[in-house]
Parts: sequence; structure tokens; C-alpha cells
Amino acid sequence: MRRTAPVVLLALALAGCGGQAASTSSASGEPVRVSAGDTSCDVSRTSLPAGSTLFRIENTGSQVTEVYLYGEGDKIVAEKENIGPGISYDLTAQISAGSYDVVCKPGMTGDGIRTPITVAAGRPAP
Amino acid sequence: MLANGLIGLREGLEASLIVSILVAYLVRTGRRDALPRVWIGVGAAVALSLTAGAALTFTAASLSFQQQELLGGTLSIVAVAFVTWMVFWMRRTARSLKGQLEGKVELALGAGGAALAVVAFLSVAREGLETALFLWAAAQSAGSGSAPLTGAALGLTISVVLAYLLYRRAVKINLASFFKVTGALLIVVAAGVLSYGIHDLQEAGVLPGLSSLAFDVSGTIPPSSWYGTLLRGTVNFTPATTWLQSLAWVAYVLPVVALYFRPLAPAPARQTASV
Repeated sequence: MRRTAPVVLLALALAGCGGQAASTSSASGEPVRVSAGDTSCDVSRTSLPAGSTLFRIENTGSQVTEVYLYGEGDKIVAEKENIGPGISYDLTAQISAGSYDVVCKPGMTGDGIRTPITVAAGRPAP
Repeated sequence: MLANGLIGLREGLEASLIVSILVAYLVRTGRRDALPRVWIGVGAAVALSLTAGAALTFTAASLSFQQQELLGGTLSIVAVAFVTWMVFWMRRTARSLKGQLEGKVELALGAGGAALAVVAFLSVAREGLETALFLWAAAQSAGSGSAPLTGAALGLTISVVLAYLLYRRAVKINLASFFKVTGALLIVVAAGVLSYGIHDLQEAGVLPGLSSLAFDVSGTIPPSSWYGTLLRGTVNFTPATTWLQSLAWVAYVLPVVALYFRPLAPAPARQTASV
């Protein structure tokens, strides 16, 4: 049985990570929709309250794309790479008050297409 | 469909390569009986990845971006350690085989037996979760037609076929070349995995220097092109590579290559011949 022990350990480690994070996904309200096309990057809402926020990303273009949420100084707050055409992903991010950019990078190169968003403070703690 | 196929190909390629070399090695050393351990490792990794991926896709559970990168980065670096171990384990065998008749090798697995399952497991689990998330997302997107899922599955299948062809070739070449070629291949693959792991940890914010790029050739080698995909899928070449990644790559490859290809000392009579 010793050959399966490391496998079990890793399984527990993975499960542990998942369980721990489960509580953070109680994002409030409607998800923010991001339509990532070949030449566009449409964000359904650009003024958001602080807190756990669900971004529902859909690749509406023909190229593989990646979507970043940049904070001040282009610090990566959240990111999803390798979104194939026609595929949707949910990305949950903890955001606090400040200015952010949602950036789509069709073809996964270049500076990408930016949409600035503003996050307001003051959402009551759940 | 093509774009999703390329993602599938890239995700599957590296794990398939490592597993096929492992299998070829066991077949070459007359240890077909140890193959089930490899398949146990592969099977456990696939099952675990699909389960965890489904939980993250279909339930409220979620991993934050940082947690995912941390997991991917850590698993990658652990995988590098195990693949490196495997490379030198194979080298020791090469030494004990020296002078013996090819095809009459009966290798004693020793401690290596248990670790085989772990190498196979880690090679697949490393990118397994990401691949599973990709597959489940493609399955979920079935509303927009079955093209994404078909493409993804096709890409993964092609990666397995390519690895099988490599295996077919590897069991035919002579044993001395076998150890040289597979050793070199594994070292370059492992260095790429290390660089990938470093990048994940940089993205998670654990390691610094994410924006200090050593080079950026994404104009010449677009990551979404077929050749960009093959380079990424096999040796984990990223067109935009940070300094830390490059340094780690060089710091790994130079000593490991030097150690692996140092002249084989004649096998010291009995003591170490059967490891």
C-alpha cells in the first residue's frame, strides 16, 4: 500500500485547498459578464462594490484568449489563461476599493484590450 | 475547434511524453510487470483531476487565482524533483547494464518501484486540474455547439498518439542511444516544468520579478500558433520569459546535464549493480 500513500496525501491536499476556498465564492448579486472577442472586451458593469466578485468570461472570438484583472500598477489580481473559442469560465476575485482594468488578450499576446472599472468601498461585511 | 484542439494538445503532450518514456524504460529493462504501477499513478491523477475539476465547475467551491497558481507551481516543482530522480535512477541502470547483453536485462526496481507511481501521478496531476477545468468548461459550453469539447478531446487524443509513436521509436533504438536520448529529453522537459512552476509562483505573488522579462518573442512565436503550442507543450517554452525563469532553467540544466552525461564509471563489481 505504500505506493498509494503519496497519492492519497496529494488528494487530501487538493481537497483541502478546495474546501478552504469554498467560502469565498459567495459573490454578491449578478456576475459581471466579460465578453472577450477578437477585437473587443466588453464588461457588463464597470462600477462594482468591493468584495468577492464573480466574473463570467466568455470567449466570443475565434482565437484563444486570456483575461486579466489588473490592479494599480498592473499588478495581477486575477487571471484566466487559455480560454478557447466558445468556452466560458467563472473567475472569482476578491476586490477592494480602487481602480482596476479588465484586460482581454486575444491570441494571448500583446498589451490587450483594456476596460477600466471602479470599485467602491463600503459593502457591508456578510 | 482548431484553437481548442491546440489547447488540448498542449495540455496533454508533456505528461504523455514523460509517461511514454517511463513505460518504454520499463519495457526495455524487462520490467513489464511494473507497468500497472505507472497506470495506477496515471489513473489516480486523471480521476482526482476530473473530480476536483467537476467540483470547482459545478458546485459553489472555487479556487482563487492565487490558490490555483500556488497549487500549479508547487506541484510542478515537486514533479521536477521526481523526474530528476527518475533520470538519475535510469542512469544508474544504464551503468549496471554496461557490458550486459541487451534484452537480457532484469532490473531490480528496489525503492524505485514505489516512486514509479508517484512520477506518473505527478506528471499527469501537475496540469491535470487545469486540463480538467478546461474539459468541463468545454462540456458546459455545449450550448454553443459541441465544437469546443470535440476540439479539446481531439487535441488530447493527438498528444497521446504522439507519445505512443515516441514509445514505439524508443523501444526500437539501441539501448545506449535510448538512455542518452530519453535522459536528455527528460532533463529539458523537467527544466521547462521548473520554469513553468516558477512562473506560476511569480503570478501567485510568492516569487518576485513577474514583469522583468528576459526576452519576449511572442511576435515571432505566437503562443496560439501550432509551433508555439508544440514548444509550450513539450519543453514549456514561453515566448515571454522572466529573468527568474531563465535563471532557474539554466541553473537546473547545466549541472544536471553535466552530471547525467559525465563518463560512466565502470560498474563497481557487485555492490551497486542491483539498485
